[in-house]
Amino acid sequence: MENIIECRNLTHYYGKRLIYDNLSFGVPRGRILGLLGKNGTGKTTTINILSGFLQPRSGECYILGEKIGNMNPLTRRKIGLLIEGHVQYQFMNIEQIERFYASFYPNWKREAYYELMSRLKVAPHQRINRMSCGQRSQVALGLILAQDPEVLVLDDFSLGLDPGYRRLFVDYMREYAKAEDKTVFLTSHIIQDMERLVDDCIVMDYGKILVQMPVNELLGKFRRYTAQVSEGFQLQNTDGIYNPSVIRQSMELFSMLPEAEVSARLSLQGVADVKVENVGLEDAFIGLTGKY
Amino acid sequence: MFKTSKIFFCLLLLFMMVWQLPACYNFFVAKSVDTPFTLYSGIAGEFASLKLDEDKKMHYRDASGKEYTEEQFDSILPTFYYRQLVTDGRFPDSIHGVAVTPRQVQMSNFNMRISPLDLNKPRLGIQQMLESMSGRVDLELPDDAFRITSEGMEFVEMETNTIDRDKSARFTQMMKQKGFQFPATYLSGNPTDRKEYDEGYVMLDATKKLFHVKQTVGRPYVRAIALPEDMTPKHLFITEFPSRKWLCFLTDTDGYLWVVERDSYAVRRTEIPSFIPEEQSMLIIGNMFDWTVKVNRGTEECYYAISAQDYTLIDSMAYQTPRYTIPGLSFTSTKDKFVKPRIVR
Amino acid sequence: MIKAIFYKEWIKTRWYILLALLVSLGFSAYAMLRISRVCSLKGAEHLWVVMMQRDAIFVELLQYVPLILGLVFALVQFVPEIHHRSFKLTLHLPMRATSALASMLSFGMLMMVLVCVPALMLMWAYLQSVLAPELYWHVLLSALPWYLAGMAAYLLTVWVALEPTWGRRLLNVVLGVLLLRIYFLAPAPEAYNDFLPLLAIITLCYSILSVLSLTRFRDGRQD
Repeated sequence: MENIIECRNLTHYYGKRLIYDNLSFGVPRGRILGLLGKNGTGKTTTINILSGFLQPRSGECYILGEKIGNMNPLTRRKIGLLIEGHVQYQFMNIEQIERFYASFYPNWKREAYYELMSRLKVAPHQRINRMSCGQRSQVALGLILAQDPEVLVLDDFSLGLDPGYRRLFVDYMREYAKAEDKTVFLTSHIIQDMERLVDDCIVMDYGKILVQMPVNELLGKFRRYTAQVSEGFQLQNTDGIYNPSVIRQSMELFSMLPEAEVSARLSLQGVADVKVENVGLEDAFIGLTGKY
Repeated sequence: MFKTSKIFFCLLLLFMMVWQLPACYNFFVAKSVDTPFTLYSGIAGEFASLKLDEDKKMHYRDASGKEYTEEQFDSILPTFYYRQLVTDGRFPDSIHGVAVTPRQVQMSNFNMRISPLDLNKPRLGIQQMLESMSGRVDLELPDDAFRITSEGMEFVEMETNTIDRDKSARFTQMMKQKGFQFPATYLSGNPTDRKEYDEGYVMLDATKKLFHVKQTVGRPYVRAIALPEDMTPKHLFITEFPSRKWLCFLTDTDGYLWVVERDSYAVRRTEIPSFIPEEQSMLIIGNMFDWTVKVNRGTEECYYAISAQDYTLIDSMAYQTPRYTIPGLSFTSTKDKFVKPRIVR
Repeated sequence: MIKAIFYKEWIKTRWYILLALLVSLGFSAYAMLRISRVCSLKGAEHLWVVMMQRDAIFVELLQYVPLILGLVFALVQFVPEIHHRSFKLTLHLPMRATSALASMLSFGMLMMVLVCVPALMLMWAYLQSVLAPELYWHVLLSALPWYLAGMAAYLLTVWVALEPTWGRRLLNVVLGVLLLRIYFLAPAPEAYNDFLPLLAIITLCYSILSVLSLTRFRDGRQD
């Protein structure tokens, strides 16, 4: 399968602080990939590198086969970019901004934009800086739909949106990307939104990738184990175990290992009555990265 | 493009350094050297100076080091301090065997400053010519101004901003008749009503010939002034001193100072060693017997004593004025009134 | 695409351009009004004589007007771009980043000309009715460096505004202020006559500094 987005051996530091070392990943055509990570793990850094607003220390990124640093400007017609906070030119109104962008894109889909705008309760001459964040997100989405790019890069699309708008955005985007075979790379700090939207996920921890796989596969394999133990219990042999913790007499741990293997390992250490459950993406994320 | 901008930025930083660093150094560190106030004393027969010394007291000395009291100093420079001498009742009946009155001294004293700043500056190209024989005691500013084009002289009525064709034709005709080749290449006049009398302008024509042009009773007065063969005039300085002895001073291309006497139009060279008026300033403090001439030659401040009778050199001396400034880029200069980048020392 | 950039800049700055034009014309008109009052109270002769004898040009109050107009213009045009880093949107447009920037700067310079030239024309039109050519050119040539300073202030402010880090921005401000001083060193009217062509070229060169800020912005330089 051809990778529409391809990053190889990315290394980046802010000053002396390592963000990540030798990070590589790819997004195949038609897939929606979500980048998950706690604050400061380099989500925005990655988006900035992908959208050409940050020069990594080393490593290379390609979109549609072109290296990002010296991409043909016209290739950017095929890349839709959503900036964190749904930023758009604040000084324009919805008509002006449509007219502005239309002249840059030969395949501009004016109707797609106005169809979305017609559902917004805004006056045609209302400037974007007078709109709510939710309304702004619809304008930004409408512009991306009208641009009709092959690749979409969305930076924290849920920032500032109330649940209704978030759901609207997610559903719209999912339906659009699937129907038109678009490739999407996105980040969000609200994990529940991702669960409805993304095909694959990358979970990042400080300096490294913890997991990179399809969401279905992750949710199928990843389980939470809880049991009662005596106070002061310390788990041995933690290979393949994520974030084991004991609070008073309750033990909690996560693992992607087959259920039988984990249960066997626990009973060897004298832990009985182990409860096993599959979890949602948010719990899986916490299980993978820890609460701290 | 990025490379070009980076190079431009580096050049900018470099430019800032050669502009600002020497300027800062010269402003904070370099000090100018104070030279004492010096005049030639015909009575002492040498230069005399006064200076505030390090003991914070004023010291009066002559060039051979002899100290004077303040009163003695007044006496050896009687033409300069005549007012003090008159007040003290000490003004002499005669100086150098010549009977003098304070009034005569006052009338024959003059100061003349030739500064690069006055020569190197933008010129307006339009000026006024006063009536030099109005019959009134006080001079009056005219209601027109003139320019000199390659066609002739053009008077413009200021109130209406229109050309006075008759007057222009009168002057042009007269000047042509006297051999003036238009356009003028140099003009010197002092068009102000705050002076005792008016001599109009001295001008160089297109062929560097010297002319005296003024307006008397509304009519042009034009006089060609014969110059020595091998001399080419460069800068003209109309004098209009109370003594009425000279029409103007001028410098030639070799840097010598000449005088044009008012009544005879005789042109005579002074023995002041040559200087560069565009770069060096000259101050002349003159009286009926002698002139003290100060020329700033950069690292040297030269003094010359010149006879007021025959312009011969009587005496000379110099103060060293070493400068501790470092060269750098500057846009302005103490020697001109232009703004342009140049290296100054 | 350049037309579209111009359209965007126009929407952003049109009210300011109108205001700047009014301010620029207003100040010139006020300066001319003062001159015409001198003429009616003391006669045109007085005006001529003062100009010839005392190096007066009667329009000193215009000195910093273009400078302020240019500086504010750059802010009005570029602060909305830096706000929320929406300049990223401009850089993501399918055209070369330098072309986008060049279009924005060209628009700015064009509008500065549009704002300044009518003011100079107004002065020229009035002054030539009361003054000889030597005198009105004296005034206009003395004022010209101030208008160049307006252009320089515009370009240098863009350079400062687009710079992504505060440390470097501060350095740029210091350099910019020093560079702007060059336009206000006149010891006498018409002092810049010989230097004006070179100064105009240098002024235009300041536009290249913005490319440096643009590149630093795109490379993601941070404090």
